[in-house]
Amino acid sequence: MTDYWLSRLFFDLQNPAAAAQYRTDREQVLSKYPLEEPVKQALLAGDVPYLAKLTNPYLLRYYFFSVGMKDDEFMRRLNGG
Amino acid sequence: MASLVGAYAASHGPLIVREWHAVPENQKIRLKNAFLELGRRLSTARPDVLIAVSPDHWSNFFLDNIPAVCLGIGEINEGPPEPWMKDFPHKEIHGHAGFALHLAKTALQEGFEPSVSHRLKLDHGVCIPLWRMVLERLPRIVPILLNSIEPPLPSLSRCLEWGRLLKKATDSYSEPLRVAILATGGLSHSIGEPTMGAIYEDFDKETIRLFGSSEKDLVHFLEEELPSHGNGSEEVRNWLVAHGAAGSRGFELIDYLPVPKVIVGCGFAAWRL
Repeated sequence: MTDYWLSRLFFDLQNPAAAAQYRTDREQVLSKYPLEEPVKQALLAGDVPYLAKLTNPYLLRYYFFSVGMKDDEFMRRLNGG
Repeated sequence: MASLVGAYAASHGPLIVREWHAVPENQKIRLKNAFLELGRRLSTARPDVLIAVSPDHWSNFFLDNIPAVCLGIGEINEGPPEPWMKDFPHKEIHGHAGFALHLAKTALQEGFEPSVSHRLKLDHGVCIPLWRMVLERLPRIVPILLNSIEPPLPSLSRCLEWGRLLKKATDSYSEPLRVAILATGGLSHSIGEPTMGAIYEDFDKETIRLFGSSEKDLVHFLEEELPSHGNGSEEVRNWLVAHGAAGSRGFELIDYLPVPKVIVGCGFAAWRL
C-alpha cells in the first residue's frame, strides 16, 4: 500500500533546502504533512522495514540518503538488522 | 529526410559519481573506457539530435501524475537537479522542438499516447552517460522518459514498438537531421528493496545474449525473470526501445562488468543498424 503523504514528504526532501530544514527540525517539517501517527513514529525511529512497505523503494533510499544514513547502514536496516 | 545514424546503451547510477573514488582501479579503467568508446562512436556518427531514453527518478513526476512515456518537446530542458550532480557542465540542455513534436504527432497518429513536456529536468539517468562520454559537442537532446520506477510499468513488447515508432518517425521527418538514440539504465541492480546491492551477473549475461536472438525469446525471458532480478533491472526497457529502433539486429557489446561499489551490472552497447 502506498502512503501518499509519506511519499510526498520524501519527494519534497529531494530539495536540499527542505532536507536541511528537516535535519534541523524534524517535528516542524512533519507537522506540515497529515501523516498517521505510526508512520510519524517510524520516521522518528528510522524504522526502515516499516517505511519500506509504504512507499516507492527509490524514494525510500533518497530519504535515508538525505538524512545522512550511509548505504551500508540503510541496507542493514532494510533487512531487519 | 532524417536518418537514424546510431543506437547505443549505457548504464547509469548515482554511485558512479558519488562513490567513484571507491571503485577498484581496474574497474574504473574499464568503466571510463566504455563510456569514452561510446562517446567516440557517438561523435563519429555526428548526430544532430540524440534521443535519450531514460527513467525519471522522481525528478519531474510524482504520484499525482506518472506518465508511462513522456516526450520532451521543449527547446530547452534543465540539467540534473541532484545536488551531487552539480559539476555536470550543462545547466540547460538544448532540445529540438520541431523534431520532438514530429515524434509526438507521429506517435499519436500511430496509436501511441505519450504525454509531452515543454521543459523537463534531465536527471542523472540522462546526464551521467552524457557526462562520462566526454563529448566535444553536445547534440540537441530529445528526452523520452519511460517509467520503469513506479509500477504499473509499460509492457516490454510496447517498448520494442516504441523503438520501431521512433525509427518510422525519424524516417518521415522532412529535414535532413542525423538522429541517434541513447538508452540509459540497467543492467541488473536493486534499489531500496531488501536485495539492494545485488547484481545478477548470470541474468545480465543471458539478457545480453538474447539481444542477439529473437525478440520473442528476449521478451519471454525478461517477462519471466525481471520480477526476481532487482527493480533497477526494469530499466532494460530503454534498451528494448533502442533495439526496436535499430531493427532488432543485435548489438556489439562494448563492455559488461558487475561493479559492486556502484551496485550496478554495468553494460555498454552499440546496435547494428
